[in-house]
Amino acid sequence: MSRELPTAFAIGEALRIALAGDPDVILMGEDVAGGGTRPAGTDEAGGILGATRGLIKEFGPERILDTPISEMALLGAAVGAAATGMRPVVELMFMDFLGVCFDPLLNQAAKFRYMFGGKARLPLTVRTVTGAGMHAAAQHSQSLYWITSGIPGLKTVIPSNAGDAKGLLLSAIRCDDPVIFCEPKQILFLSSEVPEGDYEIPIGKANLVRQGGDVSLVGMGATVNIALQAASQLAQEGIQADVLDLRSLQPLDEEAILTTLGKTGRLIVIDEATPRCGIASDVAALCVDKGFDLLNAPVKRVTAPFSPVPFSRVLEEAYLPTPQKVIDAVHELF
Amino acid sequence: MATPVAMPRLGMSMKEGRVVEWPFGLGTHVAKGDIVVIIESEKTEVQIEATQSGVLRHIYVQVDGTVPCGKLLAALTDSADEAFDADAFRTANDLPDDQARTAPRAASQHPAVSPKSDLPRRAVAPAARALARQLGVDVEQVPGSGPGGRVTKEDVEAWGKRAERLVEVSAGVRLEVLRDGQGDPLVLLPGFGTDIASFAPQVRALAATHQVVGIHPRGVGASDAPQAGCYAVATAAADIAALCDAPAHIVGASLGAAVAIELALAHPQKVRSLTLITPFVEASARLLAVVDAWCRIASEASIQTLAMALLPWLFSEHTLSDEAACQRIVRGLVPSLAAVSAPALRRTAAGLRAWSGSRGADLDRISAPTLVIVGAGDLLTANDDAVAKRIAGARNIVVEQSGHALTIEAADRVTQAIADHLRAHSA
Amino acid sequence: MQLTYERVLGAYRTMRMIRSFEEKLVELVNLGKMSGFLHVYLGEEAVAAGVCAQLGEHDYVASTHRGHGHAIAKGVDVRGMMAELFGRRTGTCKGKGGSMHIADIDKGMLGANGIVGAGIPLATGAALTAKLKKTGGVAVAFFGDGASNQGAFHESLNLASIWKLPAVYVVENNGWGEFTPTDYVVPVKDIAERARSYAMPALIADGMDFFDVFAKAGEAIARARSGGGPTLLECKTYRFAGHYVGDALAYRPKDEAEKWMTERDPLRGFAERVLSDGLLNQDDLQRVDGEVSRHIEDAVKAAEAAPFPDASEVTTDVYADSHRRG
Repeated sequence: MSRELPTAFAIGEALRIALAGDPDVILMGEDVAGGGTRPAGTDEAGGILGATRGLIKEFGPERILDTPISEMALLGAAVGAAATGMRPVVELMFMDFLGVCFDPLLNQAAKFRYMFGGKARLPLTVRTVTGAGMHAAAQHSQSLYWITSGIPGLKTVIPSNAGDAKGLLLSAIRCDDPVIFCEPKQILFLSSEVPEGDYEIPIGKANLVRQGGDVSLVGMGATVNIALQAASQLAQEGIQADVLDLRSLQPLDEEAILTTLGKTGRLIVIDEATPRCGIASDVAALCVDKGFDLLNAPVKRVTAPFSPVPFSRVLEEAYLPTPQKVIDAVHELF
Repeated sequence: MATPVAMPRLGMSMKEGRVVEWPFGLGTHVAKGDIVVIIESEKTEVQIEATQSGVLRHIYVQVDGTVPCGKLLAALTDSADEAFDADAFRTANDLPDDQARTAPRAASQHPAVSPKSDLPRRAVAPAARALARQLGVDVEQVPGSGPGGRVTKEDVEAWGKRAERLVEVSAGVRLEVLRDGQGDPLVLLPGFGTDIASFAPQVRALAATHQVVGIHPRGVGASDAPQAGCYAVATAAADIAALCDAPAHIVGASLGAAVAIELALAHPQKVRSLTLITPFVEASARLLAVVDAWCRIASEASIQTLAMALLPWLFSEHTLSDEAACQRIVRGLVPSLAAVSAPALRRTAAGLRAWSGSRGADLDRISAPTLVIVGAGDLLTANDDAVAKRIAGARNIVVEQSGHALTIEAADRVTQAIADHLRAHSA
Repeated sequence: MQLTYERVLGAYRTMRMIRSFEEKLVELVNLGKMSGFLHVYLGEEAVAAGVCAQLGEHDYVASTHRGHGHAIAKGVDVRGMMAELFGRRTGTCKGKGGSMHIADIDKGMLGANGIVGAGIPLATGAALTAKLKKTGGVAVAFFGDGASNQGAFHESLNLASIWKLPAVYVVENNGWGEFTPTDYVVPVKDIAERARSYAMPALIADGMDFFDVFAKAGEAIARARSGGGPTLLECKTYRFAGHYVGDALAYRPKDEAEKWMTERDPLRGFAERVLSDGLLNQDDLQRVDGEVSRHIEDAVKAAEAAPFPDASEVTTDVYADSHRRG
């Protein structure tokens, strides 16, 4: 049966399924229960998005662990718990907060298995809100997935819609490796079709969401919608675009990228993050490195500018990729 | 007084160069800034401008001759009739063969040319290179239609297919013929400096009822571009006549209309009906000036720049006021304009100039049923019935809110008019 | 926990093994046979031995860059450790970890750690697992005086306290944080005082005395095991060697070190105590010394003879790529 849910609700649904199906799964994060820990039974916050609302009543405070605002201890303890048999799902409220808790991810979770000669399993999921679009300014709007994607040992995924969010999150939780699950602000309250029940979307596989043939638009998270909007406008002028949703940033589905490039010879990658050392650059490098003879035009990157995320609505709009910016880039290729 | 033209030295590594083309015939006047000679060095063709005006009086190194830098190539004299001793001039101005390599003299220190050693390398998309390798095509010969003239995969594909579309029209000259549809033959002749893509909307519609035969004249698309001072309109008409086994409906736009008129006069048995779109018989000064600018921009700037420069001359105020339409048109024009190289443009322009005014008195001899379509806002050719009224029985249509590029700007109106005309004269 | 004859003998074997293992490492480095960043535990043996003597298989420890002692005391195979330090395929971590990352999770050893203070939240997480899974286990974080200045220390103690986790935080205060004296960078006299902020009980042990460490650790671990929550246990100890093998030690007063080494050597102190109390006799000690010495020599021989990892293994073990079925 077809039904639509906002992405945040789809995430809550995935968490409920994971918690119900596996006693090792626990949730840890700031305000994941909120006031719900009070015996008086006030209505809990359920995290910054309300995605975890209702879970503490269902699964109790031993599995829905409301933590202090103490990201280093939270992440570090989650890594320790994951290494010793739990399957923690951490809510890192905004990815910007990586700055105060990077070591457990960078030097511990990412490297345990390797450093210990394969004798460790780190089934850890870190859910974290990314991206601009809510006038949240420089410290609550960054798309830092390029950092985690560049660290061997971590996996990083980013859904573009509610249905994918549910399936990808279930995959992430059940994965025996540490997975960073990005929740782009611009899709959190957008509704789209979410299948009922338990299903998984594999990590490491991109999804061709639109068939074109003239040009490939590669997006991730919120930029998939931007690519789709650009594609429908381009169709009116006779340019048919493939739109590829990366879904997984590490591992990167190189085959899917090269396949669409092979079809169109023209590729534009749209990334909400800043342009240096990022996913867009990585995809462009892949095209040149492994797809050189497929290129019928330069690879274009439509990204944020090299600046912090601004506050003012006008500045933030100028900062973010838009369908028009994508269309302009496409016009440079023909 | 005579001025030497010498093989320039373009960059430190250049030791010799090959003469590719003398665009002006002997005895013709070359203005300062005109391309006096095209040379090739290190696989790059470079156009050398005359630094002084003069008459091309003597050529010492013919096409395909390869000589060291500094070697005397030609002499220009102030006038055509002044005294000139070619041997004495050579003795006074040329380098001894053994010195040429090592000691460029005053002639090349103050060269009679303007070197363009900073020309960018030709851009070829990697996919185009790969396909060219696969097809065994020399990618350097393929005209580029991408941004900045980049050769794209599509360009190579089209080039690769050209062989099957080439038809010999005279000894050693092959023209590209694009056929589409079934039925009575309908020949389309594009205007100056464009290929058959300028008729794209008409081809799509008319191929349903006719065999549409798009012909690329000499120097257009994959057609041969023989070296010559001029591509005469009469030659173009003879080429078409050679291609037509049976009488055909002939549709020509602008210069293509001139070729159609020439065909109707010189080879009337080949013409079943005639459609003249924005025709001219005496080129206006404005038309000639635009053609000159066209040649110049094509050799010095990008195709996009050329397309943008032509836009105000080819389209009406009505179209120009729609920014999105203009962007679309420029994008569409680019590949069409890229199909004609700068030397071919110059040769074609010379043919246009020579033909202009030569047939004014003959129009009344045209016997084929004739339709003339003009744009009310055309700046380059007649925007009224000036041509039609000189052809017996010709019907004239004036399309409002349209300029010179009628096949694009008033695509549907033109298609419909041609279809009606064909229907009326097919029985 | 009672100190039986076997336990006392085992404690001595542990301390002797740590001492001999590390003296061998220093020798191998000096001979140019071993490389890498090595930090030795010489002088602090009583802390690892005393704490770990109170732990069982289901208990976890998280260690530090100075981690050989904790690994040996927690039962990690010494031959594997030696092979690891030689970078061999037969090493504890297949040659991928080295000195700073020796770990054996099956033995409850969560790893030495190259990041100062990083093991503290890891042990906190292991304690969370023990609590949630009701294993009856306890997790111990070993760390130094320097790490007690890290945010990870303070955040972890806070979290463990509010959640009443079965954790013991063992700070090995050896007087020096790398090349800087502790009193220059720590404002409190006893690091144990820091527990008060987190409403956590604290104990101070003589880190050069196995028996005192054993007793205090026993108290803390028993509290943790019985659901009484975490304890901060400060062990006052001394680092006999430099910060790393090769450290010229110019920054440290020679007489200070000599005083600790001649008067407070934990192995000598242990021997004197067990002999005087009649817990062990001279033969026992000599037998253990001989066994340990042979064991270390064998470990070196075996490690030197073992193959290096294949170069293709550089990219294996990055991901498990396995999946629990939903």
